[in-house]
Amino acid sequence: MSDYLYVGKDIPRTIEADKVCGRAIYINDLKRPGMLHGKILYSRYAHARIKRIDTSKAKKLQGVRAVLTGYDLPDVRVGFIKDQTVLKKDVVRQFRDEVAAVAAISLEIAEEALHLIDVDYEELPAVFDPREAMKEGAPLVHEVDARGKPVRSNILPLPWKFQAGDPEKGRRESAYVVKDDVRTTWVNQGCMGTSGCIAEFDMNKNLTLYSQTNVPFLGKQRIQEYLSRLGLGKSNVRVLNPVVGGSFGTKLDTDIYEFIAIQLALQTGKPVKILFTREEEFFALPPRQPALFNIEQGCDREGNLTFREVKAILDNGAYTSWGATTPSVMMMPISSLYRVPNVRFDATCVYTNNIYAQAMRGYGNPQATFAVETSMDRLAEEAGIDPAELRLINCNRPGEETPMRLKITTCPLEACIKTVREKIRWGEKRGKRNGRGVGMASLIHVAGGARVYKSDGHGIIVKVDQNGRVDVLESGTDQGQGSPTVISQMVAEALGFKPDDVSITLGDTSLCLWDAGTHASRHTFMAGNAAIQACRSIKRQILEMAVEFIPQIVTYAIKKKKQKDPNFREPDLDWKLVASPEAMDIKDRYIFPQKAPDHPYFRTEVSEILTRGLHVGTGQSRVVIAEAFYDPPTEMLDREMKGNYSMTYAFGTTAVEVEVDKETGEIKIVQVFAAHDVGRAMNPTLVKGQIYGAAYTGAGYGLTEEIQVRNGRVMNANFRDYKMLTAKDVIPVEPIIIEVPDESGPFGAKGIGEPGLVPTAPAIANAVYDAVGVRISDLPITPEKILSALRKKDVC
Amino acid sequence: MQDFEYLMPTNLDQAIGLLKKYENKAALIAGGTDVMVKIGKTRKAPDVLISLRRLSALRYIKKNGGYHIGALTTHRMLEQSTLVQSELSALHDAASQVGSVQIRNVGTLGGNICNAAPSADTAGPLLVLDATAVLEGPLGRRRVPLKEFFTGTYRTVRKPDEVLVEMEIPEDLGRYGSAYWKHTRRKAMELPLIGIAVALKLSQDNSQILDSRIALTVAAPTPIRAYPAEDFLKGKVIADDVLKEAGRIASSADCCTIRTSLRCEAWYREEIVRVFVPRMAKLAAERVKNR
Ligand SMILES: Cc1cc2nc3c(=O)[nH]c(=O)nc-3n(C[C@H](O)[C@H](O)[C@H](O)COP(=O)(O)OP(=O)(O)OC[C@H]3O[C@@H](n4cnc5c(N)ncnc54)[C@H](O)[C@@H]3O)c2cc1C
Repeated sequence: MSDYLYVGKDIPRTIEADKVCGRAIYINDLKRPGMLHGKILYSRYAHARIKRIDTSKAKKLQGVRAVLTGYDLPDVRVGFIKDQTVLKKDVVRQFRDEVAAVAAISLEIAEEALHLIDVDYEELPAVFDPREAMKEGAPLVHEVDARGKPVRSNILPLPWKFQAGDPEKGRRESAYVVKDDVRTTWVNQGCMGTSGCIAEFDMNKNLTLYSQTNVPFLGKQRIQEYLSRLGLGKSNVRVLNPVVGGSFGTKLDTDIYEFIAIQLALQTGKPVKILFTREEEFFALPPRQPALFNIEQGCDREGNLTFREVKAILDNGAYTSWGATTPSVMMMPISSLYRVPNVRFDATCVYTNNIYAQAMRGYGNPQATFAVETSMDRLAEEAGIDPAELRLINCNRPGEETPMRLKITTCPLEACIKTVREKIRWGEKRGKRNGRGVGMASLIHVAGGARVYKSDGHGIIVKVDQNGRVDVLESGTDQGQGSPTVISQMVAEALGFKPDDVSITLGDTSLCLWDAGTHASRHTFMAGNAAIQACRSIKRQILEMAVEFIPQIVTYAIKKKKQKDPNFREPDLDWKLVASPEAMDIKDRYIFPQKAPDHPYFRTEVSEILTRGLHVGTGQSRVVIAEAFYDPPTEMLDREMKGNYSMTYAFGTTAVEVEVDKETGEIKIVQVFAAHDVGRAMNPTLVKGQIYGAAYTGAGYGLTEEIQVRNGRVMNANFRDYKMLTAKDVIPVEPIIIEVPDESGPFGAKGIGEPGLVPTAPAIANAVYDAVGVRISDLPITPEKILSALRKKDVC
Repeated sequence: MQDFEYLMPTNLDQAIGLLKKYENKAALIAGGTDVMVKIGKTRKAPDVLISLRRLSALRYIKKNGGYHIGALTTHRMLEQSTLVQSELSALHDAASQVGSVQIRNVGTLGGNICNAAPSADTAGPLLVLDATAVLEGPLGRRRVPLKEFFTGTYRTVRKPDEVLVEMEIPEDLGRYGSAYWKHTRRKAMELPLIGIAVALKLSQDNSQILDSRIALTVAAPTPIRAYPAEDFLKGKVIADDVLKEAGRIASSADCCTIRTSLRCEAWYREEIVRVFVPRMAKLAAERVKNR
């Protein structure tokens, strides 16, 4: 057991009281004086030429302040590879193409104005299947690239090619080989709060953007660049977070609606708010990237993996956002989940006229792990080895370097597998084929930052006032994960103060230092390491003051006592105990000599020292403040796509027991055990919260969730038809926290935001196979798919 | 436009008077869980909404002679009624699975029936319980058996100036065992992919089916009875193969016109009818035995 006072304790989340009582200010609640409401008109076709846009009627509507089309704006391109403009002109390439935008004095008027905009289209041939889109002669989604050069193909100039070892040799040396096609689909992040922002310029064209972004600093940079292309290079930009109702990846890119709000605000000189409806949230916000995998892997007679080869095709949709970079994460489980010496991975991103995709919890990891872990079960069967055993044989170990050059530090994967195997009573339940079955799957994920940008840095500013209240200006964001609670615990621990002393301000580019973004499960890890650095300096400052002031305070007190009581005998004090900062420490707000923590004279409450430091009465008064910027010594992926991009990696294993109704194909999840390597849990309740939430979302990914896209159109843009699991679909999840403190993590912590989701769907798929002998490798695993497969099996 | 006038009569006569006054400019609203959703979706509202909320006299569940359930009775009231649970079990199964607790607190039985969605959860149970709709208009009351009530998707025999007052269920039906299966992809906030209601009257020794009713929702443009399957069961001894055959008949084109929709393919819906007619029949029989 550690002797930490606050870290590792179940301290309740404090700021959530405001959310529960309806007091938290979300973007929905935020109003600015004179604010207008913006609405967006979307395309009516998946692919069409715009022949004419007539906005005259809309402009005449009373209360309308601006109507914009692509023809009113300079052709400034935005996005990850700059393949779109803010409003589209000439050609639309997907149903969510933003064709026009309106700002009006009320939402109703803005909506009405949209109906008054006439657009004539000439429909163009479209392509919706990425495999079709790759073929020669397929309709081109883009005729020219970002530089205006003609293109010949829908394949993105973004090839992902990775190789380590010699996969051919590995294949030759295999005793058993399996090969499968696996498909994963679009899923919506399902945030409780829909997307929105307010853009506001002052008279000098300085912009304040109230944005839900998780990447305030990258977002600010993108906007600053955009403004300078508009000729507003001198504008200052401040990005501010309101309270954010969930992100799950949606807030990693600067979305088109944000640029539209900026344009409308520029045009009208008024603050403009755009707030998505739930329907827009479903069709106009990029969902999880879908992928088609072909996976092949083998092992020798003993079960040692010999090679793994994966080809992926990613339906990029019509434009490019972060979805196209998910292969950088897919590569991690493909190359490094279990020890596999020879690996090849190719991913091709293909333009289609579908909606484009983005990030979602786990990035590409859930997709790739679904392929890897269902294939592992197939291989186990082929080799006649128990699937849990095959995983143990190939288990990652501490201190190893993987084919991708990831440096594994701590790694309790073996413990994770063995724990869930025992909990679910694997031996007794497996292999019955009686409608009940068990399955498992593991994961590896970055847990110590992720160097996807040249800086993976994270800044923090800590200041302490005379009363010993601590303000932390934190460069990350809180989208509901509970960061403020965990950070206040870590700051309190590092300073020797109490968590209640600490207030956290997040998500403000003007107040805070740079941060790469609250993504990749990195906030606790980064903020913690930065906080420890900053707090070390703060503590030093306070202790230096203590060296100066404790003798004064004590001498004064003795003097007073003597005055009061002439018989008082002056004690013989060992002043060396407080002669240097090194000789002292702070805990629970008390400064004390290390050698005599309970010293009756020297033990001093911090505010006594802080007050004296400020109110000195000469020109020597001082404030206590420190800043730290932590950028871990990790590597970007090199040209071969190798490199240790995180300080540490998290592992975990989920085991699931299911019951399958053979007549209806329905699956009931009987129990789930999710064992996760978290380094050290900073707040076990919050860690469990992350595991519960992620496991639920993983179960939805496995069983029910799918954005139905037909000919480019989202058909189920609401929570009635998009089947996110509800509170009544209780899945009995038992999170198991496996603690092996990691040296690189703050107090030993690893990131845990995403992992819980990753292995859930493949564990379910494997359990379904164990229950009824059919393997569904196409998500979600619906009753229809099971029933069809069961029938095919019966026929054979 | 989405603007409308909102009137709140306090008794039935006033409500009927207002309906007559505003004619096709007005619509009734009870819990509003269909009406408001529709207004939001189509962005069109009638000029006048006549609320039945204050007609608390129409919120009741009574047994005298037959069973009488007021049109304004909420799904939650049905869910919490032990009378409904033990004697009109299929209706209890349905009402307790509508939407969510919040929806059940405001959504009414009358609204569910008058909205006439092909997926209305209470329609199947009321059909197998031989319910009769009691309507009142300027010309007085009339009684329409529920099996003749639905004329199409979202269409009924109700005249624009009539109010549904109550549903009547014959006393004899309380002695039947009944059950309703709502097939869904999750456990709340769902419309049925297909709904199956069964009511059975058994012989003294519970071995023989004396009378049977089977109703299906989402199996045709309106909630329907599966008469050929009912006829097949009458007089038969309860046995697996008999029930299985009833399921087959119910799922066939003789009984329904099941379609593929975005929510579910036809073949799967048929399969669920085939599987759940027997399962619900067994549950209904079980309920008779346990009485
Ligand atoms: C989130 C959500 C979930 C839902 N889930 C389900 C579900 O699981 N199963 C299901 O079947 N339905 C469901 N519904 C639909 C709806 O809740 C039910 O149909 C409910 O019973 C409607 O009752 P109401 O009182 O709200 O009707 P209202 O919306 O007030 O009225 C519906 C229609 O009936 C008419 N009407 C109402 N009362 C009378 C009367 N006494 N006389 C004449 N006409 C009348 C109205 O004019 C209107 O045309 C759901 C709705 C929502 C919003």
